[in-house]
Amino acid sequence: MRPSHGVLLVVCLFAVVAMFLMARSAMAHAILLESSPSINSTVAGPDIPIKLRFNVRIDATRSRLTLVKPDASTQSLAITKEGPADALASQAQGLPPGQYRIRWQVLASDGHITRGEIPFQVTQP
Amino acid sequence: MARLLQIFSFLSVLLRGGTLSFESLTIGGIVFLNFVARSANPQSEAINQICLRWIRRAAVALAVTQLAYILASTLILMQSADMNLADVSGANFVLAGVLAAASALTIAALAGARSSKSYPIMLFPAFLILLSSVMTSHAMARLEYRFPLAVVTALHQGATATWLGGLFYLLIAIPRCPDNRFARQLVARFSKFALISVAVLAAAGFTLGFAYLGSLDAIYGTSYGVMVATKAVLFGTLLVLGALNFQIARSPSGGAVIASLKRFGEAEIGIGITVILTAASLTSLPPAVDLRTDRVSTRQIVARLAPQLPRLASPSIEDLPRDIYAAEVKAFDAGALSSASFVPGHAGTRPNTPAEKSWSEYNHHWAGLIVLSIGLLAFLAQTKHFPWARNWPLLFLGLSLFLLLRSDPETWPLGPNGFWITLQDPEVLLHRIFSLLVIALAIFEWRVQTGRVATERARLIFPTLVAVASALLLTHSHSLGNIKEEVLAELSHAPLAVLGIVAGWSRWLELRLPSENKVRDRMARLWPTCLLLIGLLLLNYREM
Repeated sequence: MRPSHGVLLVVCLFAVVAMFLMARSAMAHAILLESSPSINSTVAGPDIPIKLRFNVRIDATRSRLTLVKPDASTQSLAITKEGPADALASQAQGLPPGQYRIRWQVLASDGHITRGEIPFQVTQP
Repeated sequence: MARLLQIFSFLSVLLRGGTLSFESLTIGGIVFLNFVARSANPQSEAINQICLRWIRRAAVALAVTQLAYILASTLILMQSADMNLADVSGANFVLAGVLAAASALTIAALAGARSSKSYPIMLFPAFLILLSSVMTSHAMARLEYRFPLAVVTALHQGATATWLGGLFYLLIAIPRCPDNRFARQLVARFSKFALISVAVLAAAGFTLGFAYLGSLDAIYGTSYGVMVATKAVLFGTLLVLGALNFQIARSPSGGAVIASLKRFGEAEIGIGITVILTAASLTSLPPAVDLRTDRVSTRQIVARLAPQLPRLASPSIEDLPRDIYAAEVKAFDAGALSSASFVPGHAGTRPNTPAEKSWSEYNHHWAGLIVLSIGLLAFLAQTKHFPWARNWPLLFLGLSLFLLLRSDPETWPLGPNGFWITLQDPEVLLHRIFSLLVIALAIFEWRVQTGRVATERARLIFPTLVAVASALLLTHSHSLGNIKEEVLAELSHAPLAVLGIVAGWSRWLELRLPSENKVRDRMARLWPTCLLLIGLLLLNYREM
């Protein structure tokens, strides 16, 4: 009995094509569960504590927080070293009133990156 | 930059699917070699050698895809997070990937040595591959019950590899058996392993489902739940095939028995790969237990699925957004995207306008009419009283033209965006590939049905493409949030995908099973029935 190479080839072809097609759907899975400031909230300035909580453990040393100011300039925010495994914490200081956005990017343990933005408004203290 | 990240992101998830498949083939092969082939008969040298050859190929492919995956993900991270190589190198996914690649290369070297002493040694690097896979799973990322979930995940993946990976080795081993008695001995031994693996797989799957779904309403109310349910249904299909195999293996001996076992095995591998890839897609979705808001209710599902007359009049193309890319950017800037979290290159989902929804419903309803007609004609063709009905595959050409013209109205030939953008947008590219697949399917199957070609390979094109196209339906992009419209769309696409997969593999079995096997006649009636049901479901597809 000789093996049917043709059929094996068809099955392998199926696997490769299916893999190509299936790959589209696979995305990262670290999602933002809650944040402070929360999305579209108003907070009193000028110093704003920042905390983001995710659904899974994240690699804090390889994650990033950026503050987008009202004039569209950006400032990197230092991430606090100690904290829960599923959270990122930082502090934005001396913010005058205006519309701001926190851009976050986290690395999950599987190497997938997730991003998002938290728009918020700063008012006078 | 966004386009570059999108390509890298696409590439990295493509490689993720590859690593899972090759992992199953490598681990399954080593288990088969150690516990099935060797124990069946010490003289089965030809079988050992072919197993070693395929283990080596799978291990090399695994090492290559793992290293390419690390490279793609590292590049994404360096580009998007402004890190250097040293920063990225200590990341968990890099460590896990290097461990898997090194273990795979060790297996390739041991398999290349072809010494029987190395067979049991290969079990150790196989275990390390499993460990590396668990390191990047949902289980390790959880905050609670991390260790027990990791053990259950390892059992789930190990059992999958033993069963589906091992099945591949059984199929390549059977033709090399010196006689039928030996082949049946091999099958009987593998069946025992398969049974244990299936039991472990089901128990572990149930435990993981319980942990990650959290409640019954998550099964129909979230994208994750819908995908888990689809995977469970496909697993049920595999169990039916496995049971048929088990029954045949215990029936009186004969040449047709071995032939039947091989044919069922082919279908099991095909559906098994689809299940593995559905699982790969699942690992990238947030578990349902993490998304407790915005779930779809049973009332909303009933309202959406209630039968209505099909929409056979299309809205004008003028009513559609002229440039969806610009609309997406505008929605992003205005903060109107539906998802709070997204991956680089995927900026969330813009809600469709009513005109876009009507356009899509019209497309689905006409496609439903065509598929329904195909199913009816395929039934008529089987009766032999209507020879003209054998031309049914030509109806697929109409479906292809329809897809090409209407699936992406913003691009060539209807929209303002030129042909080349087709190659840049994965969504449009997939639709175009799908159109080409449908043309290929129409031509090949028409030639087969009308007797213009009779080779086995050409006859298998139709079932293969139907199975691939149906697997494609499970890939409709998921958002990282619970978006009701997407969950409802997935609820209607998942049954279509399952029916398509069953149609493809039942036609495959009709063509491949020996004529003595009575299941063949049932398979001949099953696939046109599936096509009829697909047509009916498409006719009732709605987006609002």
